Amino acid sequence: MIRNRKLANQLFGLFALLCAGVWMFPLYWAFVTSIRSEQNVVGGGGVLPDEFNLASYIDVIFRTNLMRWYVNSVGTAAITTAVVLLFGVMCAYALSQIKFPGRRLLYGVVLLSFMVPPQALYVAQFILMNDLGQVNKWGGIILPQLIVPVVIVVYKQFFDAVPKELREAAVLDGASEFKLLFKVYLPLNWGITTALGIVTFIATWNEFFLPFLVVTSETQMTIPVGITQVNDAFGVAYARIMSVALLAAAPVAIAYLIFQRKVTEAVMISSGIKG
Amino acid sequence: MSLQSRRRKANLTAMVLIAPFVATFAIFFAYPTLKVLQLSFTDSPLIGDGNWIGVDNYVRLLGDRLFYTSLVNNAYFVLLTVIPTTAIALGIALMISRLRGRLQALIMVLFFFPYILPVSVVTLIWTWMLDFQYGILQGVFTLFTGKPVAVFKNPHWVMPVIAAVTIWWTNGFNVLLFLAGLRNIPTDLYEAAKLDGATAWQRFRRVTWPLLWPITAMVLTLQLILQLKIFDQVYLLSKGGPFNSSYVLLLQVYREAFQLDHGGYGSAIAMTLVVIIVIFSVLQFQLLRVVGRR
Amino acid sequence: MKKALQRLFLSAAILGSLSAQAMAVDVEWWDFLAGGDGVRMKALIDKFNAEHPDIQIKATTLEWGTPYYTKVRTSVGVGQGPDIMTYHLSRIPLALQDGSLSEITDADLTAAGLTKGDFFDAAIKAASGEDGKLYAVPFDIHAIVLYYNKKALEGTDYLDDKGNLKGIASLEDFTTAMTKLKEKGVKAPLSYQTVGGGGTWRVFYTLFSQMGGELITGNEVLAGDNAAKAQKAIEIMADWRSKDLIPEQAEYEASVALFSAGDAAFHINGVWEVPTFKDLAAANKLGFEWGAVEVPQLLEKPATWADSHAFALPANKDEDPAVRQAALTVLGWMEKNSLGWADAGHIPAFKKTVESAEYQAMQPNATYATLAGHAVFDPRSKIAGVASPVYDAVDNYIAPAVHGQLPAADAVEQMKTELQGMLQ
Repeated sequence: MIRNRKLANQLFGLFALLCAGVWMFPLYWAFVTSIRSEQNVVGGGGVLPDEFNLASYIDVIFRTNLMRWYVNSVGTAAITTAVVLLFGVMCAYALSQIKFPGRRLLYGVVLLSFMVPPQALYVAQFILMNDLGQVNKWGGIILPQLIVPVVIVVYKQFFDAVPKELREAAVLDGASEFKLLFKVYLPLNWGITTALGIVTFIATWNEFFLPFLVVTSETQMTIPVGITQVNDAFGVAYARIMSVALLAAAPVAIAYLIFQRKVTEAVMISSGIKG
Repeated sequence: MSLQSRRRKANLTAMVLIAPFVATFAIFFAYPTLKVLQLSFTDSPLIGDGNWIGVDNYVRLLGDRLFYTSLVNNAYFVLLTVIPTTAIALGIALMISRLRGRLQALIMVLFFFPYILPVSVVTLIWTWMLDFQYGILQGVFTLFTGKPVAVFKNPHWVMPVIAAVTIWWTNGFNVLLFLAGLRNIPTDLYEAAKLDGATAWQRFRRVTWPLLWPITAMVLTLQLILQLKIFDQVYLLSKGGPFNSSYVLLLQVYREAFQLDHGGYGSAIAMTLVVIIVIFSVLQFQLLRVVGRR
Repeated sequence: MKKALQRLFLSAAILGSLSAQAMAVDVEWWDFLAGGDGVRMKALIDKFNAEHPDIQIKATTLEWGTPYYTKVRTSVGVGQGPDIMTYHLSRIPLALQDGSLSEITDADLTAAGLTKGDFFDAAIKAASGEDGKLYAVPFDIHAIVLYYNKKALEGTDYLDDKGNLKGIASLEDFTTAMTKLKEKGVKAPLSYQTVGGGGTWRVFYTLFSQMGGELITGNEVLAGDNAAKAQKAIEIMADWRSKDLIPEQAEYEASVALFSAGDAAFHINGVWEVPTFKDLAAANKLGFEWGAVEVPQLLEKPATWADSHAFALPANKDEDPAVRQAALTVLGWMEKNSLGWADAGHIPAFKKTVESAEYQAMQPNATYATLAGHAVFDPRSKIAGVASPVYDAVDNYIAPAVHGQLPAADAVEQMKTELQGMLQ
């Protein structure tokens, strides 16, 4: 009976693994394509990898400004993430812990802003960036991306869930609100900070249209903008296109694999949120 | 300290705490939004000033055939994504919650992974997977339809395929939300149900489903808003074709503003979309609350 | 003493050259030229930079089509455009409407060492506004041509003893030839980008123009019997498709690959693919001999779709006159060195280059040079031209109709309604 159960569990595990494998197949296939030669790619090769040809990677890395684009992407995404988290955590703390006039209105506006499609604002934001002299600068890429309402919503939910006794005790000890926030509330919620940080970083890293409008020279491009320059309209170049795609995704993928535990944990805890 | 001065101090602290966000919000979000709203009442080009023309743009919208086509397609896309992605995410989450230890972590990572990819990478990969001449998935299509299908050029396939790509890309986040929800359900409830002789289905129906409802409602609402804002995938995969069978509202905004230099009219369409999103999410939220209470 | 003096001169000279370098004017340059075109343009830019220590071109290549023109429109709109950029003459009407381009005066032309008389009239006309003011300087005329694979045609009646294409003088001839080739086992008798986009537009517009069709008359789209002509043009392509003479849903790259792999006997594409086949042949990778001719007259009169690359200076640029002068110097130099551009298959717009002995001897350019007399440019309208609504309509209506997903008459009707709606 017990052995049967174990077997059933193992079979189930195998089944789950199979499902996940199917889910990951597109990425696997992109990788297999990218390490083939162009002739082999269209030559009807099988599903299994049959050669290890880095030609298209070398081509992309050495014939473009890829390294420069990495720097721009990492730089702008890191700064954006840091600022978004800092401003967000402060605002969310005030919304959650201090009863000040207008807090309902503010929270309502934050929720409403989630419903405005960012695409609608691109041109207006671009003109604003030009008025501020930020065209073709990191500032022009960063500033319009500083509004991430979800960060405030999630932080607020978490702060709401922190037991009131903690706060009362600290207040009796004479701690200021700032101290409470940075010494108590934030350390209690490092998990969610990591998760929000990664989600914000991913979103900023992946942003295409705004940097596309703001950047006017090849050296200031971010990865998603830069890789469109690599697409060559001539000849069959699927291996090359797949290597570009994978190279563009690599840094975030590596970061995710390193922090994946934190992300999972944090998103999981965050669902303590009421609907 | 008097109550009043303490309150004043608390308000002051609150103001200091919210000031950075409120300032950035006002400059980089609220101002551009109001600007777009104002533009929607003018005949402005993409960049530069126009004349105030009142509600003419909105009136014109009512007679624009492409607007109705896009509206229908937006609705169709919501239908194709919101409920399916929620159901699939729930299924995957239920499966993962039955696993333990390292295997569980591994499977979770695999299902979450696509979520971290840039949209352009996602569309490049799927364009290649579905390539008419060399796509590896064409074999599957041949199996069912007898011949390869140029999916993004086919009016019947284009929307379902874009929906499938979207689900593949964004589903991981929903899976995590459901997993967390499942973890919050006390196990003794299941044990009690088991003792009462409830079948697996009954346990799901009587325990899991009602207790998971708040999360399900949240996922549904988030998805509704997100999918109404569909643009990138359509723009990158089908450009709205063939014969407008995948045209959506934001694509129309893009075309009017950037291709035709009608900044004012484009803004009016964008604002209409915002209103639609607000109405539908409020409606859905109320509906879900009613359903949840039953 | 003499030595000291020498040293002084030397250091002065070094200093002088250093400061000359520091004074060098940077000209910011945008283009949309990738692939074979891009390689040749980069060679020209490098040559210019080497010859001009005082002017340096800083080039940025952006993605062709909608992304390029979106970028130009928004950047120029706020005064952040480049100093000089490549432009399609078919986009001039739209540019005039949104005010993206700066007028090029006669004085500017003189400063570049050019006059209007240096160029073909048609090109100058396409580059000017209704008021006769010049907004771009044409660089080339590029059209579609009919490429053919001599090996695939071997043993048919369609090659003369010198191996040149012959005997295709009507639609019937062409369809018959393709049908015979199909029976002979040629996979795709004719390949072009059938999936839509520029490739389908160019073939459609060529057929349409060979019937004397006019897409936009005054302010009306497909007025009078033009709708019937458009329908006929679509039906011709749909007929080819239904007989499997042209490939199904071929993307641009795939259509080129079909020809270069020897699977297509004919290929209709822009002259810009000439270097691709030239380079492949030179590397011994082609496996057959090929030729290129003007698209034959299949219908009532000869006509071939054409467009023109040009140089334009953006408006709203609050710039140093020295930079504008430098940009004009670049422009003038490029025109005078356009033989290097002809190597990319294009017909230069600069008459002196076309009249030069080197150009006259250049193959296959000389063979298809006749097309210049029959070139038909895109309609002069803000809804036409590269990356315009007309191009979208091709993807949206014409290509589906060619593939039998939509009756040709419906496609024309819907296209007409949609484009007409945009003309207000």
